[in-house]
Amino acid sequence: MGDESVPFLLDQGSTKTYQIPIAHLDYKFIEKCTDVKHLEKILRVLRSGEEGCYPELTLFCEKRIEHLDPRSRALRKDKPPATASDFTAEEWETINGELMSWVTEMNEDDKKPQFPGTLHERQDNLPPIRCSRSCLSANQNKKSQDKQRNKKNIPRDYSEWDKFDVEKECSKIDEGCEENNSKARFFSRPSLPIIEKKIDTTGMTKKEKIFIANREKEKGNEAFASGDYMEAVTYYTRSISVIPTAAAYNNKAQAEIKLQNWASALQACEKVLDMEPGNVKALMRRATVHNQLQNYQTAIEDLNQVLCIEPENAIAKKNLLEIEKKLKGLKPASETQGKGKRILIQDIEDSEGDEERGENTEESERSSGDKNSGVPVRGEAASGEEVMGNTHRKFHTKGDGSKVEDRETKKQKESTESGLKKGTSEENSQKHLSDHEGEVNGYLHSYQRSESPKAEKIFRSHGAGSQPVGDTSSTSLPPIAAKLKSEGNELFKSGQFGEAVLKYSEAIEYVFGLGEQSPDDLSILYSNRAACYLKEGNCSDCIQDCNRALELQPFSLKPLLRRAMAHESMERYRQAYVDYKTVLQIDSSIQAANDSANRITKTLIDQDGPSWREKLPPIPVVPVAAQLHRWDGGDFTSENKPRSTTDINREEQLQMNCEKAEEKFKTLKTQGNDFIKKGKYEEAVNKYSECIKLNTKECTIYTNRALCYLKLCKYEEAKQDCDHVLQIEDSNIKAFYRRALAYKGLQNYQASVDDFKRVLLIDPDVLEAKRELEEVTQLLNLDNSAVAGGQQKQRKKITIQEVTESDEQEERQFATSEDVVTDYVASKEAVQMNVPPQTSEKLHISEPANAYDFGQIINAVNTNKDKAACADLLTITDPKKLPVLLSNKLEGEIFLIFIQSLEYYIVGKDPGLVYQHLFYLSKAERFKVVLALLSKNEKEQVHQLFDLLAENQNHQYSLEDLESLKKVYEL
Amino acid sequence: MSAAGLERPQVVAHVQQALHYTLFDCKWVPRSARLLCLGSAARGTGVLQLHELRGGRLVLLREIEKAKPIKCGTFGATSLQQRYLATGDFGGNLNIWNLEAPEIPVYSVKGHKEIINSIDGVGGLGIGEGAPEIVTGSRDGTVKVWDPRQKDTPVANMEPVQGESKRDCWTVAFGNAYNQEERVVCAGYDNGDIKLFDLKTMSLRWETNIKNGVCSVEFDRKDVNMNKLVATSLEGKFHVFDMRTQHPTKGFASVSEKAQKSTIWQVRHLPQNRDIFMTTGGAGSLHLWKYEYPAQRSKKDSEGAEMGVAGSVSLLQNVTLSTQPISSLDWSPDKKGLCVCGAFDQTVRVLIVTKLNKV
Repeated sequence: MGDESVPFLLDQGSTKTYQIPIAHLDYKFIEKCTDVKHLEKILRVLRSGEEGCYPELTLFCEKRIEHLDPRSRALRKDKPPATASDFTAEEWETINGELMSWVTEMNEDDKKPQFPGTLHERQDNLPPIRCSRSCLSANQNKKSQDKQRNKKNIPRDYSEWDKFDVEKECSKIDEGCEENNSKARFFSRPSLPIIEKKIDTTGMTKKEKIFIANREKEKGNEAFASGDYMEAVTYYTRSISVIPTAAAYNNKAQAEIKLQNWASALQACEKVLDMEPGNVKALMRRATVHNQLQNYQTAIEDLNQVLCIEPENAIAKKNLLEIEKKLKGLKPASETQGKGKRILIQDIEDSEGDEERGENTEESERSSGDKNSGVPVRGEAASGEEVMGNTHRKFHTKGDGSKVEDRETKKQKESTESGLKKGTSEENSQKHLSDHEGEVNGYLHSYQRSESPKAEKIFRSHGAGSQPVGDTSSTSLPPIAAKLKSEGNELFKSGQFGEAVLKYSEAIEYVFGLGEQSPDDLSILYSNRAACYLKEGNCSDCIQDCNRALELQPFSLKPLLRRAMAHESMERYRQAYVDYKTVLQIDSSIQAANDSANRITKTLIDQDGPSWREKLPPIPVVPVAAQLHRWDGGDFTSENKPRSTTDINREEQLQMNCEKAEEKFKTLKTQGNDFIKKGKYEEAVNKYSECIKLNTKECTIYTNRALCYLKLCKYEEAKQDCDHVLQIEDSNIKAFYRRALAYKGLQNYQASVDDFKRVLLIDPDVLEAKRELEEVTQLLNLDNSAVAGGQQKQRKKITIQEVTESDEQEERQFATSEDVVTDYVASKEAVQMNVPPQTSEKLHISEPANAYDFGQIINAVNTNKDKAACADLLTITDPKKLPVLLSNKLEGEIFLIFIQSLEYYIVGKDPGLVYQHLFYLSKAERFKVVLALLSKNEKEQVHQLFDLLAENQNHQYSLEDLESLKKVYEL
Repeated sequence: MSAAGLERPQVVAHVQQALHYTLFDCKWVPRSARLLCLGSAARGTGVLQLHELRGGRLVLLREIEKAKPIKCGTFGATSLQQRYLATGDFGGNLNIWNLEAPEIPVYSVKGHKEIINSIDGVGGLGIGEGAPEIVTGSRDGTVKVWDPRQKDTPVANMEPVQGESKRDCWTVAFGNAYNQEERVVCAGYDNGDIKLFDLKTMSLRWETNIKNGVCSVEFDRKDVNMNKLVATSLEGKFHVFDMRTQHPTKGFASVSEKAQKSTIWQVRHLPQNRDIFMTTGGAGSLHLWKYEYPAQRSKKDSEGAEMGVAGSVSLLQNVTLSTQPISSLDWSPDKKGLCVCGAFDQTVRVLIVTKLNKV
């Protein structure tokens, strides 16, 4: 404290708390210092008195801070309440006097007898008791049972609040009063609240009215202050409805002016002036309004009146001058105004034009893309073939044995032979191309469709043998990218793979930079770059690029093949095997794939023993459209040997077969559709069933058959069909709708309600579904309170009626889409084009922003026991945030699902992440508690996970780390 | 004091009155110069005192003793004519008293298993459209909404799911009662949770956590389309949420301010101006704040969703009245700037805040 040595230390040393040089505690320094933070520290040191007590300096420092930052927190001092000495005598008197008079007024007021009659009047106008209209307030004491089923007056717990389907609840509430329901959804922008414009004042005493009118006016003022003029007007109107006062009208006028509602502003001003003819504010405001309405003469009159009352009113003077000016140069003034308006209009027009233009170009681009989509593929396919050939060679030389060499030479011979035939083959494929172009156009703009001819083309050019790369003149790529690509191709041909990679990367970047990307082109670019990487022996990059290409174009041949080769050379035989097998599913004629698959089979048997197949990852099923040799695998193998000579014929034949099957399929389907239209559902079912025999992947067939079953009241079958569709396509709206109807038929109303809700989730505008949902909800409620058998009978009758009726409607509803839908081949991509990907079937996981979000997702995951979703969640969540996100919500169940999803889904992919998660999980609140409550089995699971982690060593953690973490987990 | 300092609102201690019991809550009786003090007597009974402001001092008009200490009270759900007081006590009972005949409550229910920490009313006094309702928050973790016309059972009950740990609910407040249907209840819990229950849709509309126990929440006005919410916390911070714009993921925008080192026990908005509010601090201090709106109250985020923009808070005045926490504060609904506060030093103070209309 007040150390005596302080004066001697002034030049050296620093303060104890903030290490401020003692020299800074000085008038001169403080005067010059502009760093508020530093000054605050100095002030704190000075106030603490630890360096001595300098009241003057402290005051000086405070003033300095106040000067720099009047809001600084350091200036907040504990102050006693103000007393009489803080005010002038006059002020003090008014303060006290006001209060006294108020107190006496109040006390006198209070002594006046109240009107006893008014006491209960208002009770009658009161709104009903919450929920009392919709349900009985019975069994509220039995809180635990059956809360969900019953309605609002029953206590709800948080989990129920969480699960709350607001839409549904809103609709429930609004059942009675339909008119509100569009406005009522609270998240549909609550900015337009329905506030009554009038207040019911029956039974109010005058005092009350004054009180309320005042209060409403205050609310209006507040709304005005916060810039919400609409609301302000509403509240002023309410205030006026209770007691019309000049002030309220006046304020309303101002708010209306802000809203530029000149007419209502004028009205309000006039009301004020009726009540108080000399109201300056109202006159000013009316002048403004008149000015805006270009009634300059009246505006001037008003302003003159103001100046009569307040001759010194500066604003009025200024406005008067302005308006007079306007009046003089009326023409130019009005012109400028007109001009301003025109600009506005122009603006709008401009933007519209822009939009249109944009759309046009987009459209034209799209259409050109459609047309061209077939073309680039050809050249590309050819180049790919070449690449493939090359990689083969390399690959074989890597592999050992003279046998391989043998085959290789044979292959070379083949290619030269086919080279001789090149002329003809080219011509041929050209012809096909044009055919296919027609086809593409014919087959509406379905993307999916265009893929199949493309795949065929791949096959064709493949069959045509190893054409040299190049001549890809007609791409839908932008010219620069196309140029880069062809340069890349050239480089590739000349063996400069490194440079080729650069060119391709440039092209990819360029295409990305454009924003608009056609997946075909990107896929090809990636695929080409993958080939280069493969050549360079950069297998991991090759695999990456192949993955990207396959994401863009699933089941395209070349990336698959390249990935297979890359996997093989990285000795990942299983993945390679899977890829080869997929390739063979697409095109069984690819010799190399056949050979490699066989070879890998041997290796795998050696490696894994007889049960090697079990260890394989699942082989994806190739959709029909991408399969080329499915229908005639048999003749193909027989024709395999004389391949090079009969190449072209065979190819055509295959295609014919393929097309025939497809045609048959189509005719069957159209027949089925026709039968439906005629109402012959039995026959339609037969046709569809035949269709399904041909092609099990077409969702539309199933949904159509489901429709027939519904008509035939075979609900169980209908349900099965829908289930099937939903397995393939988890957001097929028709399937949901029909399954809902089927459930309804099966009297499983709960499931039905769920499905209808999903339909509405996918497309909230399906009116039929809304209506059905309402109905079924009612049925469900009836069902819940099920009593008499007679009722059930009745219910049944209703059901049947409704089904037939609604089906007709639904037919209409989907009629337009039916045509489109029938032709596209079901696959994920098509689904994504049709409907938004988030559906309730699959949990949509997004990165949680805060603990609340995280909790919500966890709850959802936990109720579904959806480990995959949980795994997704954990992969996108930063492990470091885990304790924060979990906050104090860690429960045994959550812990377990974490462990399981880490074990099943993540540990194989990224053991490092698993370790991180486990590490940070142990830092979470309640971790110890949860751990202590784990059962033996559960502990076992944790143990397993650690074992897996130990097996999958990773650089991100050492075995010691693992051991210590194990200890934390008490293992 | 400089002239500039005098332009700011000043807090004048008009009356100080020592009491013989622990004061938990004090309330102005609407349309009068009388105030009520609620608390706990030394022998563990509840005390209810009615004082009248008369010529610069408080005159005790009536003292009523009840079995259980009274924690909180409100006039929010009564009409201006009746002026019935609703109280919550240590035993979890909700009682409504006619102060003219306080012997028997006009409404009584054992609403909670444990102490009722906080009570709020809406729909009365001309404040809030719709039915008169009372909400109570209790240590038993539940928040219940009552309608004085319905005996024995709450009209809504918000409680944690079975098995979930029960958090002590410290504070409740009504809001958004701008028409007959809309109404929300905001509840603050000892773990820092703030939950916003929508009574119209019967759903949990929003929740957040401010990390420290929530001592007090209040909407700036109960009877307008939710505008602002202030939540005060155990460690001396308070948060102002702009309740107009709810972002689908981010919720409501907020600004926080540290008033003092000690707990902020209560926040009360000036009934005549919703943008001015007083916080009462653990160290016997009062802080008067003003909220300033931003130029634009909402903006579009990158995905086009509306999100709110928080404004700023400025300190208008601060005074220290006592060394003990000030546990309750009530602005007079009738006289702008008049307020009463009760502190744990067993003193009730009537304060005058000047120049509020110049802010």
